[in-house]
Amino acid sequence: MSTERAMPQASHPGQHTEQHHGLSEKGLKAGSVGLIGAVVIGISCIAPAYTLTAALGPTVSEVGVHLPAIFLVGFVPMLLVALGYRELNNAMPDAGTSFTWASRAFGPWLGWMGGWGLIAATIIVLSNLAAVAVDFFYLMLAQIFGNPELADLTTNLPLNIATTLVFIALACWISYRGMETTKSVQYVLVGFQLLVLGWFSVAAFSHVANGTAFDATAIQADWFNPFAVESFSAFAAGVSLSIFIYWGWDVTLTMNEETKNPEKTPGRAATVTVLVIVIIYMTVALATLSYAGIGDTGLGVGNPENQGSIFAVLAGPVMGPFAILMSLAILSSSAASLQSTFVSPARTLLSMGHYKALPQKFSRISPTHKSPSYATIASAVAAAAFYVITRTTSENALWDTITALGMMICFYYGITALACVWFFRAEAFSGAKAFFFKFLAPLLGGVMLLVMFFKTAYDSMDPAYGSGSSIGGLGLVFILGMGVILLGVVLMLVMAKLRPEFFRGKVLSRGH
Amino acid sequence: MRYVVGYSANARGHDAVNLAVSLALGRGASLDLVLAVPEVQQSGHALAPKVGFENLLNEQAQEWLDQALALVPSGVPAQTHLRSGESDAHALIEAAEEFGADLLIIGATSNGIFKRFSIGPVASALLHASTVPVALAPHGYHRQEALTRISCGLGSRAGAEKLLDLAIGMAANRDLPLRVVSLLELDGGDAADAAGGADAAREYAAKHLAAALPGGDQEAGEEPKTEVVVGHGRSIEEAVDRLDWEDGEVLLIGSSRLAKGRSIFLGSTANRILRALPVPMIVVPSDYELKQPNQPASNDIPGEAQK
Repeated sequence: MSTERAMPQASHPGQHTEQHHGLSEKGLKAGSVGLIGAVVIGISCIAPAYTLTAALGPTVSEVGVHLPAIFLVGFVPMLLVALGYRELNNAMPDAGTSFTWASRAFGPWLGWMGGWGLIAATIIVLSNLAAVAVDFFYLMLAQIFGNPELADLTTNLPLNIATTLVFIALACWISYRGMETTKSVQYVLVGFQLLVLGWFSVAAFSHVANGTAFDATAIQADWFNPFAVESFSAFAAGVSLSIFIYWGWDVTLTMNEETKNPEKTPGRAATVTVLVIVIIYMTVALATLSYAGIGDTGLGVGNPENQGSIFAVLAGPVMGPFAILMSLAILSSSAASLQSTFVSPARTLLSMGHYKALPQKFSRISPTHKSPSYATIASAVAAAAFYVITRTTSENALWDTITALGMMICFYYGITALACVWFFRAEAFSGAKAFFFKFLAPLLGGVMLLVMFFKTAYDSMDPAYGSGSSIGGLGLVFILGMGVILLGVVLMLVMAKLRPEFFRGKVLSRGH
Repeated sequence: MRYVVGYSANARGHDAVNLAVSLALGRGASLDLVLAVPEVQQSGHALAPKVGFENLLNEQAQEWLDQALALVPSGVPAQTHLRSGESDAHALIEAAEEFGADLLIIGATSNGIFKRFSIGPVASALLHASTVPVALAPHGYHRQEALTRISCGLGSRAGAEKLLDLAIGMAANRDLPLRVVSLLELDGGDAADAAGGADAAREYAAKHLAAALPGGDQEAGEEPKTEVVVGHGRSIEEAVDRLDWEDGEVLLIGSSRLAKGRSIFLGSTANRILRALPVPMIVVPSDYELKQPNQPASNDIPGEAQK
């Protein structure tokens, strides 16, 4: 036979799981991302214009004027967990992330639930991203045609659901085709978001200075004091929401091989990204509170009417005719984020299929587009279903989904952080560096997040929790959050019947 | 001689491998089966690491390449390569240039229901940027035997002589008959007009062919058997349909004058021919012959012309 293979074959050590842990065999273009590039990727993964409009209202409803304090405090567990993430990613770079890592540390059952938590969180954020994009889509149409009635179309339930499903389908199709936002588009989107958020803040502060603000409120030092938050319930809810606003930042820590200087760039990029993000969050939070106050009437941030999407209400009065820029910034960032976020659940599902923790079809890669085909479509269907259910049962779907989302992130981050502690337990005391990064930081972060998770879950049973929607005397946020986790348990048991191999620990073995 | 095959694990990829085998059999060329995978990016809110997905993708890609290799009969030497690039087209052109390939072979998309050829995004990008000739396999191409005839589409534009030289060389090297094809679009008109137009086209083609064929002092055995045909119809598509095509035939066509430098740009006529054509088409970059003197080592299709 005259045929031969030119591709270097992957080395296959005996254990099945090991072959995925080697670095990529392919000649990647090393050193393609510099510091600025890495920061842009970090900021674009966070999508600050979107997270602010989605999280400001619900957070204020929990912690009031202590919003800046909570935004600062929320970063601490995020940082601690992300440090553990980095260690796990360096040791086991795997598309399944939380699923694979928790399986290797705690065995198949907890691993499966960790993966489920990640998938559920991304599915929820997909439906929220699409909904926010739709709100601003109609708002922008209203601004373009000078016809406020167009903005109200988004409150028309069937039309809203139909448009959201179209947005989800479009993003899924783009993701399925393997198309990705190019670097230059990312630069423009990020620059534009920061510019518009800056503009909004300056405009809000000048209204305050000119006495034209809705409810001018003087900034006080107390706003930065997290201990002044009235109850631990409010504190926990606020922190789990602020985990959401930093979600995506951890990507900067894990960009090793594609940066110009793998030793220094990821660390610096993570620092610069978080500085930029914290500055912009603080500025916008202070500007919003000073301008609108936390009153529950009119433009007040405490008004439940405004909490689903704060900028949809405030951009007009604050920025005047230029409010359309805010709509454009949020629409573009949430649409881009919608498309790129599809990658996360799709890759995790793919990985779970590959490790036989889900039906075989989830591990399919499209021969034409080289993307996870079945997993991407499954994610879209799940996001669409989640949206339809929430929209039809909740009085304020955006608000409740964001609260449920914060809870879900705490759940899977908590599991992942503790997986890091357990996985590296043998090395934890081998040196000061290992002790801090592989043990102390993830342990503290993981415990904090799981405490937030249980506290929020317990509190959300109250029918008045979140937007105040409830089913059968239980708060809707609780139903959504626990329902999703219970669904995961059921699916896991079904899978254990169908494909017991994984659950007997035969595919992904525990330990090193 | 090396041919680069743009492979994908679908019908289109199979078509391309089949055509590559057909083309290689007559010339003893070796095949480089290239599977292009996208550059994986970091993205999204929840961390979805590149490396992990890349590993799964590469594993799958390797499996696909093994399957591709199995499609090639044992008489044709073949290697597989996994490449990544900004786009599939980009990766393929890079591979073709790196290997000094003489031909890039891809399949047309399978989307066209009524059309035999329909240009997918990869093919379209290739046809706009390739610096080596591109062979397009029609949808469902399953032949794996050597070619039986070379056709050469002759336009009236400058540069036709060079394309004709190339076609003559290709036919001579493979010991195949050459057919020079002229396509006429006649909107209505009476039969006499049509016949007149056809005669003029035939005369024009014959003249060019005579000029391009090696002179009488050359060995007669080197000269391919030639024939001139004129296809006419109300449209180019109809003109193509009215001609008879052998299963083992390929049509050579020059790229449009709009092409920049050495690259390919498919003109509107060529595009329409492509839509109706039942056999593979090879599109040759406009200045392709010119690069030849600089690369004597490359045993190219134009190399066949110089034999």
